[in-house]
Amino acid sequence: MQTPTIAGSAQPRLARGVRLQTDPQTGNSVLLFPEGVLELNETSMEILARCDGQTVSEIIQSLAEEYDIDPKTLAADVREALADLQQRKLIELT
Amino acid sequence: MIAPRPYALLAEITYRCPLHCPYCSNPTQVRNDQELTANEWTRVIREAAALGVLQIGFSGGEPLARRDLAELVRAAREANLYTNLITSGIGLDDDRVGALHDAGLDSVQLSFQSDETGLADEIAGARAHQRKLNVAAKIRAEGIPLSLNFVIHRRNIDRLPQLIELAETLGAERVELANVQFYGWAFLNRAALLPTREQVVRAREIATAAKARLAGRIDIFYVLPDYYETWPKPCLNGWGQRYLTVNPIGDVLPCPTASSAIPDLRFENVRGRALDWIWRQSESFNRFRGTEWMPEPCRSCPQREIDFGGCRCQAALLTGNAATTDPVCTLSPNRSVVDEVLRDLNSSSDHPPDWTYRINPNGIQ
Repeated sequence: MQTPTIAGSAQPRLARGVRLQTDPQTGNSVLLFPEGVLELNETSMEILARCDGQTVSEIIQSLAEEYDIDPKTLAADVREALADLQQRKLIELT
Repeated sequence: MIAPRPYALLAEITYRCPLHCPYCSNPTQVRNDQELTANEWTRVIREAAALGVLQIGFSGGEPLARRDLAELVRAAREANLYTNLITSGIGLDDDRVGALHDAGLDSVQLSFQSDETGLADEIAGARAHQRKLNVAAKIRAEGIPLSLNFVIHRRNIDRLPQLIELAETLGAERVELANVQFYGWAFLNRAALLPTREQVVRAREIATAAKARLAGRIDIFYVLPDYYETWPKPCLNGWGQRYLTVNPIGDVLPCPTASSAIPDLRFENVRGRALDWIWRQSESFNRFRGTEWMPEPCRSCPQREIDFGGCRCQAALLTGNAATTDPVCTLSPNRSVVDEVLRDLNSSSDHPPDWTYRINPNGIQ
């Protein structure tokens, strides 16, 4: 299926009923939602921690600064991760 | 083998229910013990969280039949668990929706029997459908995420398009179209509930098309009609791997149907043992954990870590031995048991027999 490109001005937020929290057993972040648990890798965790009203462009910029990577290199990966989370209804874009 | 950590606890807080659905997977007979108290549940919830559980489903019976449900939800939230209420909706008046939301309820899974009042109430054995519609609206108004659950069987499977439409109308975020699985009352009523091959083929097409059409809007989960499948379901993701159930009287079960389907297995009770010990050490949780217990053809099968030999309860119900390959598997030496059931049904033009309605367990307070 063709996934439309997510606009830089879109604001991703956790979807209703989805919780981001730390798994006390592992210390890693997990997403909790009605049907299950998603154990997050570091990239997803860093993206989701910023899904608090920031725009996609701001998230990319902030990650680029934090990890000292060229934002252009990062943009495709961030958009892909967000598209995947949106498809699974774990985030909403406004 | 070393016990992994569990992720989810199914808390069956009561077997009492105002509905009488003939497909209920609850045991047809239960021990006449006192239900766990709220204090006992609070202890179980804390022990489950310490064991690694991240999610709790409050189920039953009808969990709303317990007036202290909000107290249990609050205890689960205090233990940082994700809380899901699995309900018929009967008993969820305005006050209780608000109280449960305030207690921290994360999500509701509401069952429907059909899209249409006459048939729905006939299946439920109670006037329930209109009340459920009201309850769905209240849940939406309160802003709690809503999943719908339909158990699909011979009498409602032809209405799949209308069931999906109802979910769209009610604004559900998720829909479970669950072909009936044959345990408890459903096993007793199998001849009345099992759909025909023709029905199953059509339903699969409808569900697949709806899934694609609604992608990104409504998540559709289609639970396969396993008698018609080639391979068994990966039941529970393996025995004692990710899930545990505590039933109303405190028995701890690897699977909610195990207590009635596997009578020769002795289950521990939270009134006598710590949950951690039961999960890691008990005979019941270790009996079918991993692959050591497996007979042929499972033992040497490349699928053994994928479907785990299927369902232990189904093996017990259909062969009398829980330690055999699930007879749904076409490699099972007992597949003929399933094939005979399907052949009898699909070669007959008779009306299906009447079903027996579920009744509440006697003496449970």
